[in-house]
Amino acid sequence: MAKRRPSSAAAFRSRQRRTVLWLAGGPALFALALLVWPVARLLWQGLWGEPLAGLPMDDTGPWWLNAHLQWRVGWTLVQALATCALCLVLGLPMAWVLARLEFTGRVIWQRALMLPFVVPTLVAALGILALWGPRGVLGAPLAQAGWSLEGSPWLLLMGNLFFNLSLVVRAGMDGLAQVSAQRVAVARTLGATSWRAFWRVEWPVVAPWLASALCLVFLYCFTGFGLALVLGGQRWATVEVEIYTLIAHELALAQAASLAVAMLGLTAGMAWAYAWVERQLASSARIIPVMRRPLHGLTAWGGWAFALGGWLLLCGAPLLALLLQAVRAAGFGQGLAVLDEADTWLALHNTLRFTGMALALATALGLLHALAGHAMRRWAPAALAWRASAYAPLVVSPVALAFGLLLLYPQWLSSLPLLVAAYALLAYPFVAKALTAALDTLPEQYAQAAATLGARPGRVLWRVTLPLVAPALRRGMAFAAATMLGEFAVSLLLSRPEWLTLTTLIYQRLGRPGSANLDAALVLSAGLMALALLAFWLIEGRDRPHNDHRRAPHQDSRHA
Amino acid sequence: MKKYFGVLLAALGLAGPALAEAPLPAPQTLLRVMTHSSFDLPKPLLARFEQEAGVKLQLIKGGDAGEMLNKLILSRAAPVADVVYGIDNTLLPRALAGGILAPLPQLVGTAAQRPALAQMADTAGPEGVVAGLVPVNYGYVNLNIDKAWFAQKGLALPKSLQELSSQAYRDLLVVPNPATSSPGQAFMLATVAGLGEQAAFDWWARMRVNGVKVVKGWSEAYYTEFSRNGGSRPIVVSYATSPAAEVFYSKDKISTSPTANLFLPGGVFRQVEGAALLKGASTSSQAAGVKFIEFLRSPSVQQALQTTLWMYPAEPGVPQDAVMQHAQEPVRFESVSLVTLTAQAARWQQRWTQVVLK
Repeated sequence: MAKRRPSSAAAFRSRQRRTVLWLAGGPALFALALLVWPVARLLWQGLWGEPLAGLPMDDTGPWWLNAHLQWRVGWTLVQALATCALCLVLGLPMAWVLARLEFTGRVIWQRALMLPFVVPTLVAALGILALWGPRGVLGAPLAQAGWSLEGSPWLLLMGNLFFNLSLVVRAGMDGLAQVSAQRVAVARTLGATSWRAFWRVEWPVVAPWLASALCLVFLYCFTGFGLALVLGGQRWATVEVEIYTLIAHELALAQAASLAVAMLGLTAGMAWAYAWVERQLASSARIIPVMRRPLHGLTAWGGWAFALGGWLLLCGAPLLALLLQAVRAAGFGQGLAVLDEADTWLALHNTLRFTGMALALATALGLLHALAGHAMRRWAPAALAWRASAYAPLVVSPVALAFGLLLLYPQWLSSLPLLVAAYALLAYPFVAKALTAALDTLPEQYAQAAATLGARPGRVLWRVTLPLVAPALRRGMAFAAATMLGEFAVSLLLSRPEWLTLTTLIYQRLGRPGSANLDAALVLSAGLMALALLAFWLIEGRDRPHNDHRRAPHQDSRHA
Repeated sequence: MKKYFGVLLAALGLAGPALAEAPLPAPQTLLRVMTHSSFDLPKPLLARFEQEAGVKLQLIKGGDAGEMLNKLILSRAAPVADVVYGIDNTLLPRALAGGILAPLPQLVGTAAQRPALAQMADTAGPEGVVAGLVPVNYGYVNLNIDKAWFAQKGLALPKSLQELSSQAYRDLLVVPNPATSSPGQAFMLATVAGLGEQAAFDWWARMRVNGVKVVKGWSEAYYTEFSRNGGSRPIVVSYATSPAAEVFYSKDKISTSPTANLFLPGGVFRQVEGAALLKGASTSSQAAGVKFIEFLRSPSVQQALQTTLWMYPAEPGVPQDAVMQHAQEPVRFESVSLVTLTAQAARWQQRWTQVVLK
């Protein structure tokens, strides 16, 4: 083997470049064909294409001259920033309680943080309505007291918090675990109050972790579609919803394209910033984390009650409220009848089938993407851009994508391979992200040692690298699967009745009058939630990494 | 480790058969039918049609009716379907402007065979077909009320749209946005046709002050805002058949509907939905498409669609389903001529958005 080693550094680099090209080729071509080109095609049609004959084209000009669209863009920014601020203010104390205090049920809570990421968007939106809606469990009493959330921006913000708060809490926990116990102890010995020690010693360590999570929260809220569509109403919807209306209903491609370009610019900048911040986090230095202390004293108890209560209210209660409604629909309504219907089983079968097929594709793509990113790590600007590109499928306007696909591949639009590819496109970032994070922390010595002992790169990958990152891979796959089960954006593509999935079935039932349909939709939603949790649990497995102090992959979240 | 590779292999195993499932050259003629997402007919009926006509049906759902039409217009260079079902009189101008409908060959029926179609609307020519669109069913968009709510409050029902805009009915109405919902658009057209343009938009301006709630689509209006289903609004824009559907889908097979139609002058619009051949279809697909359109007009489908699509049959002499007794037809309704719609619909739409939302 040794004689095959590169004779010079230049030869080594060129071989490495070839490896990168081979690895990156797959995901790059896939994203090019299914993401970049379709969106570009639609933008081109909107900006330079011939106007569609006889359609009501708005002549209101570009969005920056239109007061209504200005307001949309402004509100979209404001709600994303407001969510970030709320997540920080609420999430940091929760992270602190989880990272610094020892109490019964801590581990369960820590695991439950995962819950919102796994819940399909539609289910979450229904849950928010079941809790805070005009006749919701809490919404009704609030409305009687004169504080109706109906028609207010709070429904959307509650939805945003539901999905994103736990993300910030996890990031905060991971950051706090990086704080060196000795440094805190030294600060305290030198007379710093615990408050001062927090600001001067702990905060600087935690801040980048929070910044990274907040970037992601901003991206998700800024480009959010499903949640804003259901919860935003007419007034508080976001730019993505506006683009949806402009394209799907008004066919005003020019205006939609100008908006989409502005969104793309902003999100690309943000994704780049996120990739940059995130890369700074990878530190494999050994740190003795601060010990957890038992709940003692009024402050600790107060903090604990505030944190747990707040989290339960914002993230747990919506799901419970939905479950309650589903149980009511099943027990007292006609919800159980849905189990007798052939359509339900067809939908379940299809949901599992598509998820399985797309998961295989998404795993392959995610793996290649992460390995390529790892291989080009020495070439900083490219590696950064490559990392940021993993977020593209999550932040690009799903509507622009769906209609771009229609323009580009009309003949395949109602074919199964394209449907599966669309699912995989929206899921592979989860695999890529989880793996990238794991590869970052992987000490190079193992692979080097194996190579020195004569193992070829393929063998090193199979016997050393993959086993080491297997937990992260499994976790990424779990998120991908949970996401695909309830994927919202794919419903924008053409669908065929024989491809009925649970999400489309819920929509179908909600599209017809009559209490049986509402009951069925509620039971199906609860079933979808259970299925997503089950899939997550089965794939991720129960042997979780024992409280390792390396970076935990906090950045798993789903696109809302 | 093993476990995860197992999952991976299992997933790959699942993927195999799927890739093989890509469109195969079917022995019979393949007919691609684009429909809106509400399309629903009993499977045995569809299977029998396939068998009798020697046609392999491929149904494609393109979303809400307006969305579906836009997808057809966008992809007209390489059509994704041979036949479309679900274009109604409000969408017809856009379909015509988009140039996607193919003229119907002569072999479909004669005027004498379908008197009902001929008098269906002024949108139709003497043979009941306009620009290739064959009416299949019709329905009415109008207000629905929550009976229990009005009984409990002891509030009399409004007798006119004007009354509905008075203080007594503040915050009671929810409507789907005409820009994103076809019943929403139909209701707006009814007000304009019934009251006259200026009076209609004055009314909408008063309704805005009076707290009309606008939501994206019919589902949001009916299932989250309508008081019958947990919302706070006892009056909702829906269909004349909705009270019948409430009975049909009720648990104890109740004898009266919990909701009722509220037919107000200027608040009822007749929607006529039809099917048409699309441009670009091959000759054999066109022939199959004509068979499919005839199938949609056949007695069995006309009977079935009443309780699957919740519309009235367009063909005369088809018996009404028993549950339709809860869905009485209005005596008076509005309609707008194709010419007026073509010229004005987009402008009305923009004006409505200006008056009610911006």
